[in-house]
Amino acid sequence: MHIHKFEKIWLIFGVATLLVFLSVIGVSAFYLGNQPPSCLATINPEKVDTTAPFDKPGLNKVEGKEWDYELVFVASAFNYTPGEVEVPLGAKVKVIATTKDVVHGFNAAGTNINMMLEPGYISELVTTFDKAGEFLIVCNEYCGAGHHLMSSMIKVVE
Amino acid sequence: MAQPGLDKRTQTKVEDQSSLKGTLASVFLLGFFLIITWVGVFLLFVNRF
Repeated sequence: MHIHKFEKIWLIFGVATLLVFLSVIGVSAFYLGNQPPSCLATINPEKVDTTAPFDKPGLNKVEGKEWDYELVFVASAFNYTPGEVEVPLGAKVKVIATTKDVVHGFNAAGTNINMMLEPGYISELVTTFDKAGEFLIVCNEYCGAGHHLMSSMIKVVE
Repeated sequence: MAQPGLDKRTQTKVEDQSSLKGTLASVFLLGFFLIITWVGVFLLFVNRF
């Protein structure tokens, strides 16, 4: 079979690029441990307020884990609990969130903290707050008439 | 008998292989566009928390 020289060049180039992209995703998933925010952890949505850790929403210091704090959020139509929270600069935090009613979004604007909260599931994300400032949390899944009023604030302070 | 018609060989020209230079250029333009945008999004993802 005859393949034109140029065709060989772009076939090799294309396959090599694909391999690079796939390796980056593979390293991210299997070496760095990145995974979807909602990863099979479940909860009874009617008993969120009495189930740990959602009985104590807010920033909680933890010992003996890979992260220093757990930041617990409960979403419901149409607000987040807590409505405002302070996080020390440089803290490694596991954000844990769920919803009591319908599907909500959880997006800290300008960051990679962006999760979908589904009733019955717990969404988690580990991150290091290495930039001081105020980060607005908004709902980015349409959840009802008050969707646009739904917000919270993370203040990263020194 | 002489058959003068046989002497007239029809010459079929072998056409030059169609040039793929333009195709190569456009493939690489598209390729580099994809790589640059992919790297841009990836750096954005890596550089923020």
